[in-house]
Amino acid sequence: MSRHLRVFFVGGLISYRALFGFLSLWIFVPTLILTPIFQILLFAYIGRAAGARSDEFYVVGNAIQCSSVPCLFAMTQTIADERFYQTLGPILISPAGRLPVFLGRAVPVILNGAFVAAFALFAGGLILGVSFDGAAWARLVPVLCVATFSCTGLGLVNAALGLRIRETAVLSNVFVGLLLIFCGANVPLSALPAWMAEIGRGLPLTHAIEAARAVAAGGSLASVRGLLGRELLIGAIYSAAGFGLIRFLELQSRRHATLERA
Amino acid sequence: MSDSANARAEAREPGPSSTNQVRGFVRVARLLAFGWLLHFKMLSQSAFDGFLAILWPLFFATVAFFVFRSGHASSALGPVALGAAVMGVWTATSVSASSALQRERRLGTLELLVAAPTSLALVLLPVTLATSSIGLYCIVATLLWARLLFGIHVPVAHPLPFALGIVGIVVTIGSLGFLMAVAFVRSRRAWAIGALTEYPVWLICGFLVPVSLLPGWVRPLSWVLGPTWGMRAIRDGAFGGGRPLLDVLVCFGLAAAYVAAGVLVLGTVIDSARRRATLSLT
Amino acid sequence: MAGAAVIEARELRRTYRTTTGVLRRRPLQVEAVRGVSFAVERGELFGLLGPNGAGKTTTIKMLITLLLPTSGSAHVLGLDVVKHAREVRQRIGYVFGGDRGLYERLSARDNLRYFAELYGVSGKAQRQRIDEVLELVGLAGREQERVEGYSRGMRQRLHIARGILHDPEVVFLDEPTIGVDPVGARELRQTIGELVRAGKTVLLTTHYMFEADALCDRIAVIARGRIVGEGTPSALKAGVAEGTVTEIEVFGVDNGAVDRLRAVPTVTAVTVEERDQKQLLVIQATGERELTAPLLAQLDGVEVGRVSSREPTLEDAYVALVGGDSG
Repeated sequence: MSRHLRVFFVGGLISYRALFGFLSLWIFVPTLILTPIFQILLFAYIGRAAGARSDEFYVVGNAIQCSSVPCLFAMTQTIADERFYQTLGPILISPAGRLPVFLGRAVPVILNGAFVAAFALFAGGLILGVSFDGAAWARLVPVLCVATFSCTGLGLVNAALGLRIRETAVLSNVFVGLLLIFCGANVPLSALPAWMAEIGRGLPLTHAIEAARAVAAGGSLASVRGLLGRELLIGAIYSAAGFGLIRFLELQSRRHATLERA
Repeated sequence: MSDSANARAEAREPGPSSTNQVRGFVRVARLLAFGWLLHFKMLSQSAFDGFLAILWPLFFATVAFFVFRSGHASSALGPVALGAAVMGVWTATSVSASSALQRERRLGTLELLVAAPTSLALVLLPVTLATSSIGLYCIVATLLWARLLFGIHVPVAHPLPFALGIVGIVVTIGSLGFLMAVAFVRSRRAWAIGALTEYPVWLICGFLVPVSLLPGWVRPLSWVLGPTWGMRAIRDGAFGGGRPLLDVLVCFGLAAAYVAAGVLVLGTVIDSARRRATLSLT
Repeated sequence: MAGAAVIEARELRRTYRTTTGVLRRRPLQVEAVRGVSFAVERGELFGLLGPNGAGKTTTIKMLITLLLPTSGSAHVLGLDVVKHAREVRQRIGYVFGGDRGLYERLSARDNLRYFAELYGVSGKAQRQRIDEVLELVGLAGREQERVEGYSRGMRQRLHIARGILHDPEVVFLDEPTIGVDPVGARELRQTIGELVRAGKTVLLTTHYMFEADALCDRIAVIARGRIVGEGTPSALKAGVAEGTVTEIEVFGVDNGAVDRLRAVPTVTAVTVEERDQKQLLVIQATGERELTAPLLAQLDGVEVGRVSSREPTLEDAYVALVGGDSG
């Protein structure tokens, strides 16, 4: 068991460093720090112009939706890097046990995503005059982590698809865009056509955003446990699907030698 | 002299004379036009990049339409559709233009462009104008999307100012892109900085949100950006009212200012780069 | 201006400042070109020959105004490359080898039209001129195809076409046949020869010795940033003509033995070529004296195969010049 834990933590840490090592400060700061703030401002003002919802509504919704960028891209990049450096094959067949390895890769992504969301909440809120007290933060942080866990599951699916598709960046952007529309970040599901709301409920982030709004408005964690539970379940399903897809593709590639194709 | 010798003689740069001023002007116009056409052709053929350039603003447009509908501000949907249409022009330009020189470097053509006896500014401007012209596809796509999926009809009350507004916004965004390309000529991360400007420009130039709603200190920034004026002209041309032709004038005026600033900066940057070999042409 | 050189380089130097190390970056000065001087006469095909990293490309880039020399001066057609860069650019053509440097998604004709505009080839003459250069390089009939479908040899020919569109008096070719198949390369060399026959002055850089030998009127051999030899191909060959080359096949020789060989009197250069299981030692020496015995004496304990003696070729002259300079 301890061997698995070591693989989980050490492997994950190394991968995380490798992941962001290549990203210069010039990309990291704008993408993960500034862009979420700008997005929050954009939609808060759109909301004001439309006379729709409060600033807090857009701050919470967009802060969480923004975490999808690091979750999707980082997870996909990790897997793509493994393939590029031709270590994906060895990892998948190593005796270390695939599950801890992949989970280890996922944890830094989840935590990073939660940080991005938290920072966006704080900074975006600060600019717009929306703030949360300490107690609210204590309740928000776990919700953010659930959100990014769920989204990272989608990231695993994205990563798996990325093993086959060349234009992975386009796919990741499409997922981010779909989440923007369907997950209730800017438009409550009740205001969407029924079929769109159904899709939204099947996507990550939707339940977490609803929970976060409730908790930010003063609700307790217990009151949103149903939402959080559903979000965790969605995350688990996507993670399992992504993991399964990677294994399936690995099996396929052993037959067709496509896994290591750059 | 044989035809071939004639052709070769004419191919060489003619000596100084007064008719050459006119010739020079014609040459500049040809170079801009031809360069624009070629780069537009090349950019149009890059299907996958284009797909995302059109699709990305559509995501945001869709959300904006829903927000305005849910806010019971359905009268604002027309102007919002126009604003959303123009968002794509900025998206097409912001990343593509700032990394224009990076792209040429990757292709291996940058050193050929610098080695040519034409100023780099004249070579670069058509490129950024071509990237903003790609935005025309976005305008069409977004207006179709708004019409077909949301039933938003955009009238065109005054076609001339409307058309001029569209041309103006493409030109001013292309010129702003030129300034950005020049400013980031040394940076290999230029595209990231360009990408960073996407949402701020959408917000500040009044595409989806009236400038009057923005904090007071932001408004001067809006007025200094050409797209703001182009947007006004397009809206007023479509829905009537305002002074669209004046807005178009300001729009083009600012475009000229951006180009002038870019030419100035480019001159000093290239000089310093040649001295310190920092332009890394390959 | 009879007698004035068309290309003149005087003590050209170029230093790069770069950084080394990954974590703590330290500045490093790299001297790519260390005082290169030569002159090229009108109508000459001049070769700058040297191994990779010798400074050929840096030198040529200084001459075509892409790089400023750190010190020294260069003139093309009497114009200073630093002060009159634009005038120089109008009168020279620049061609480099490799796949890059063309707009892949455009046709060859569109590529040429673009560069014709950049070089001020006026509207009326443009079409005719483009047809002419396509004919000259042998691409006529294929100019509507997109460059992305072109082979390396075709791209090279298109590069040359681009380089002479504006009918420059001087053409600079940087490793034009690199990576091209032998047949294509031979055709390229024929085209280059025709440029000279048309009255142009050509400066060519290459690391293919036989190419320099076959094409060039004069060669300057450059190594580690310095000119180590200059002259016509025959003069360079003559420089090593009074001498012998001994080739000794060995099976596993150590550096100590090679150093001892170098120390043998009259030996000027020793090179080791790897050939599967064995190595071929090529020893150049001045003088006509038979050296086999003293050389073999230094190889005591080393398994030796065939031994032969022969006269030097231009390749040996090149190796001696390039290998001999320890600077």
